[in-house]
Amino acid sequence: MTDFTAVEVGTELAPVTVHLTRADLVRYAGASGDFNPIHHSDHFARALGLDGCIAHGMLTMGTALRVVTDWCGDPGRVRSYFVRFAKPVPVPDGPDGAVVTFAGRVTKISDAVATVAIDALLGDEKVLAGATAEVFLG
Amino acid sequence: MRAIEERVGFSYPPTAPYTVTSPKIREFADALGDANPAYRGDAPVAPPTFAAVLAAAAWNGLFADEPLELELKRTIHYDQRFAFARPLRAGDVVTATLTIDKVRVRGNTAFITVSVALEAAGERVCTATSTLLHTWEDQA
Repeated sequence: MTDFTAVEVGTELAPVTVHLTRADLVRYAGASGDFNPIHHSDHFARALGLDGCIAHGMLTMGTALRVVTDWCGDPGRVRSYFVRFAKPVPVPDGPDGAVVTFAGRVTKISDAVATVAIDALLGDEKVLAGATAEVFLG
Repeated sequence: MRAIEERVGFSYPPTAPYTVTSPKIREFADALGDANPAYRGDAPVAPPTFAAVLAAAAWNGLFADEPLELELKRTIHYDQRFAFARPLRAGDVVTATLTIDKVRVRGNTAFITVSVALEAAGERVCTATSTLLHTWEDQA
């Protein structure tokens, strides 16, 4: 359990690295009901000018928040969450898929609410922009 | 002038009630590869971004509104915000009401900001606000 009394601006949250594979995209499609074919068919992805299948933005957003909820334990502490989908996450067909690393850092504390800035890196490219979560610490 | 520019401030009727269940929460958490115990057991809460699943049901109203000539396949999810009053829980019966907040049209593209109010038992649980980038085929 995180000791919130020690949290300060600059506190780094433990990073999370995931390998998103085609199987993960199919699983997320089923669980979310988002069956846009660009997430499971290279044919339809290429028809839109992509090189191949890309991850659901909401899968990337949902996975990124694990940095915060792994840290604070109780997801009910999350008061708000914002991301801009800056770059698509191409998911090649293979055992490794796309390797995405998420990291978080406390940027503000006010009235027992910590603002956490989240970075999402595919290689050295940021796939989310302005990603922030507000977490109640009280 | 695009039809959607005259719809700013308009709200669609709420979606049919959706009952959040424990197995659905677990399935969604598994799809995020998230082993948090809060999503399991007898009285689970839903992962925060599960709210998008319910909000997306309300988006359908937008795409079904024929005069707007919007197509899901010509739409990019540009950004997403959630504001939570509390987490969604197993047993919640949730309706989603979509309001068109803001529209910026330039040529054949538009940034469309919609907010979806998720309510359970008359109480606001979450507001999910999305900016969608839509491209029409024509140049009107």
